[in-house]
Amino acid sequence: MTTTKPRREVARPPFWRDIRVLRVVGQVVAVVIVLLLLRWLYNNLVASFDRLGIALNFDFLTSQTRFRIAYYNEFDPSSPVWQMVLVGIKNTFLAGFFGIILASVIGLIVGVSRLSDNWLVARLATIYVEIFRNIPPLVIIIFFGFALFFFGPFPILSESWELSLGGNNLLILNKDRWAVPGILATGGLTVFWMILAVGVVATYIVWRWRTRVFDDTGQPHHRVLWSVGVLLGFFLVGYLATGTPLEMSWPVITEDRRLFQGGFAFNWGFISLTAALGLYTASHIGEIVRGSILAVHGGQSEAANALALSAFQRYRFVVLPQAMRIALPPTINQYLNLVKNTSLGVAVGYAEITALTRTSIGNGRPTFQSIIILMAVYLGFSLVISLILNIVNRRFTLVER
Amino acid sequence: MTAGSPSIASGSLTGWVKRSLFKNWWSGLITIVLLPIVLLAGYRAFLFFFVNGQWDAVTRNLTLFMQGTFPRAQQWRLTAQILAFALAFGMAAGTSRASARDRAQEAGLPFHEETARATLARMWSLVGFIALLLYFATIDETGNPFNPFLLVGSAVVIAIIGFQAKRMPRRIRNLGWLLTAVLLLLGFQVVSGFGADDWIPMGLILGIAAYAVTPTPFAGALPRVVTRLVAAVVVAFTVRFVYSAVDQPGIGWDEWSGLHLTLMVSAISIILAFPVGLLLALGRRSSLPALRIMSTAYIELIRGVPLITLLFMGQFVLQQLLPQGTDLSRVTRAIAAITLFTAAYVAEIVRGGLQALPKGQTEAAQALGLSPAKTTRLIVLPQALRAVIPAMVGQFISLFKDSSLLTIIGITEFLGVREIAHAQADFRGVSIAETLVFVAIGYWAFSFAMSRESQRLERRLRVSR
Repeated sequence: MTTTKPRREVARPPFWRDIRVLRVVGQVVAVVIVLLLLRWLYNNLVASFDRLGIALNFDFLTSQTRFRIAYYNEFDPSSPVWQMVLVGIKNTFLAGFFGIILASVIGLIVGVSRLSDNWLVARLATIYVEIFRNIPPLVIIIFFGFALFFFGPFPILSESWELSLGGNNLLILNKDRWAVPGILATGGLTVFWMILAVGVVATYIVWRWRTRVFDDTGQPHHRVLWSVGVLLGFFLVGYLATGTPLEMSWPVITEDRRLFQGGFAFNWGFISLTAALGLYTASHIGEIVRGSILAVHGGQSEAANALALSAFQRYRFVVLPQAMRIALPPTINQYLNLVKNTSLGVAVGYAEITALTRTSIGNGRPTFQSIIILMAVYLGFSLVISLILNIVNRRFTLVER
Repeated sequence: MTAGSPSIASGSLTGWVKRSLFKNWWSGLITIVLLPIVLLAGYRAFLFFFVNGQWDAVTRNLTLFMQGTFPRAQQWRLTAQILAFALAFGMAAGTSRASARDRAQEAGLPFHEETARATLARMWSLVGFIALLLYFATIDETGNPFNPFLLVGSAVVIAIIGFQAKRMPRRIRNLGWLLTAVLLLLGFQVVSGFGADDWIPMGLILGIAAYAVTPTPFAGALPRVVTRLVAAVVVAFTVRFVYSAVDQPGIGWDEWSGLHLTLMVSAISIILAFPVGLLLALGRRSSLPALRIMSTAYIELIRGVPLITLLFMGQFVLQQLLPQGTDLSRVTRAIAAITLFTAAYVAEIVRGGLQALPKGQTEAAQALGLSPAKTTRLIVLPQALRAVIPAMVGQFISLFKDSSLLTIIGITEFLGVREIAHAQADFRGVSIAETLVFVAIGYWAFSFAMSRESQRLERRLRVSR
C-alpha cells in the first residue's frame, strides 16, 4: 500500500450489525434451540412413558433381576438389578483386559514381523493384517462362537478332551468351557495380600535402586533378576508365614461325567469374544507398530549397527523405545475401540454389560434408563482408559530442549 | 524398496532363497519351523474350500445373500439399479480422469492414462468376489430369474459407455458430475420409488445445479442471488410437480436386505452423516464458546460409547422420544442411529483437516477482506475437505464393517441373512463355517478394495501438494 487514508473515528455500527452483539445473540439463540429440542424430546418421553405406565426413574435398580446368568451359578435371580450391572461391568472389564493383552502381544509380533528380513515371516504377517483388518469384528466373533464352538469340532462336556500330567488335568477342552488349573484360597488371605502388596512396593524400590546404580556407576544393573528375586522372596515369606493359604485347584470332570469342577474355567462366549477382538485389534496395532518403526529415523538403526549391537539389542534398546513414543496415541485409540467392541459379546451370549442389559430390557426393565446406564458404563471405561494411558503417554513423551 | 520385499529378479533363485529365507541361523530356524505349519494350514484351507466344504448353503441361497427377502416379483428394480449405478460410476470415473488430465496439462506435467488392466488389478478383490459369485451362480440356478452373466456383462458395458464422459469438452465438465449425482439418485429411486413425496433429494440436486449455472443477465437491476434463487426454486417446484404427476411408489428400505441393504445403509448413512459432521467440526473449531462446548460435548459423548448402544436407543427408545403416532420403521431408526454415530467421527476427521490447514490461508483471506463465512466456504473448506478424503474413505470402511451390527437388532443385512439360510430345513446347524466364510469374503472384498483406494488417494494427494 502506498497511500494511507486518514483515520476516521468510527461510530459504533447499529446493534444488528455489531459483531459483539451478534456473537452473543448467536450463541444465545443456538443454546435456546438446543435446549428447546432437548425439552421437546424429554416431554415426548415423559408423555409416552406415562401412557405406557413406566416410571421415569431409577427405582428399578433395586428390584429383582429375575433371570439367571449363564455360567454364573452363584448369581441369584432374586438379587437386585444393580448387582447384575456390576456382574456385567466385571465381565466387560475381563474381556477388555484380556483382549488388550492379546491384541498388544500379537500386534507387536505382527508389526515387527512385517518388517522382517525373512520373506516368509513378512509375507505371513502381511496376509494376517490384510485379512483381519478388512473383516467386521462381529463376523470374526460369530465365527469363533458358532463355527468353532457351538456347532464346531469341540466335544460335549461328557467327552471333554483332557490333557493331564501325573493325574492332574492341565487343560480341559469342550464346547462350553476351557479350563486350566487355578489357585484356591483356603483362608488367612488378607494378611497374605498385604504382605504381597508391600512386596510389590519393595520390588519397585529395588528396581529404581538398581537403575540408579547403573546410571551412576555403569555397573550391570540386573534389575529384572533383582526385582523378581525380591518379589519371590516376599511371596514365599508371606505364603509360609500365613500358613500356606493358597493351593492349586485342578479342573476335573466328575465321575458321572456330567459336572465340571475346580480350576479356572473360561466359557465359550468369553473365549470367542476375547480371541476375536484380540485378533482383529492386533491387525490394527500391527500396522501402528510397523508405521512407528518405519517412522524412527533410519540413522538410528545404522548407528546401532555401527555400535555392533545385535538385531535384538537394536530393536530393544534403540528402535522400539523411540517407536513406542509414536505408537502410543493411536494404540490408545485401538484399546478404546476394543473395549467398546466388547459390546459385541451380545452375539455370543457372553454376559457382559450390553448382553445383560438387553436381557434385562427383554424382561421388562425400562428401556431408556437401562440404555443410559449402559452408555454411562462405557463412557466410564473410555474415560478411565484415556486417563491412565494419557498419564503413561506423558511419561513417554520426548521432553524437547 | 523395503526390507520385506527383496526382488527375485535381482539374482538366482537359490540366491533369493538364501537371502530372504536363510539369511542367518535365526532366520533359518524360523523358516524351518514356520514352513511346515504354513504348508499344513494351506493344505487344510485347500481341503476346506475345494473338497470338504459343503457350499450348498451358499450356492442355493445366493440370491438370498445378495438381496435377501426383496420381493422377487420386483426384481427388475434391482437390475435397473445396478445398471444405473454402473453408468454413474463409469461417468464419475471418466469425469475425474478428464479433470485430472486437465490439471496435469495446466501444471505442465505428463499425464499417464491408467489402462483398463491396471484398474482391474487395483480392484482385484472386488473382481475376484464377483467372479466367485458368478461361479457359485453356475453351480445352482434354482429360482434365479435373470442371468447373472448377462447382468454383469451389461453392467460392464454400460460402465464403459459412461466412462466415455472423459471425452466431454471442458466447458461442460461439471455436467458429468451432475449427471453422476442424478443417475445415482435415479438408481436409488428406481427401487425406493418415485412417490409424490419423494421429490426432495432430486429437487435439491437439480435446484443446487440451477443455482450454480443460472446466468445473471439483470445483474445491475437485481442482486445476483435473487435471480439464482428464483431459478433454483422454479426448478425444485418443477421437480415436485413431475414427481406428483408420476407418483409411483416402490419398495421401501424396510423390505431390503442382504448385501444390497448393507451397501445401501452404509452409503446412505455416510451421505447423511457428512453435513452433520461438517457442522459439528466447524462448531468445535468455532470462536463462540457456546457452540464449541455443545459440539465438543456431542462428539465426545458419542465417541465414548459403542455403536450398539445407539442402535439399542434407536430400536427401543427413539419411538418414545418423538411425538405420539410417529411410526418409523426398524431400518429408518437404525440408519438414524448410525448417522448420529458416524457424524461424530466425521467431525473429528474434518477437524483434523481444518487444523492441518496453515494459518496463513485464513490470514490471507482476511487480508483480502473476505467475511468469515466466505473465508470458510471459499478458502478453508475446499482445502481441508480435499485433505481428508482418504480418512473419509477409511471412515466409510469402518461404517461398512459396522453395518454388520444391524444383525444384532434383528435386521437381516448381509450377515443377518445367514440366519434365514440356516433356518431352512437343509441347513439347520450345518455349513455354519461355510456361510460365515462366504460372508467374510464379501465384506473383505469391499473393504480391501476401498482401503487400497484410500491409500492410492493418500499418495496422490501427497504428491500433488
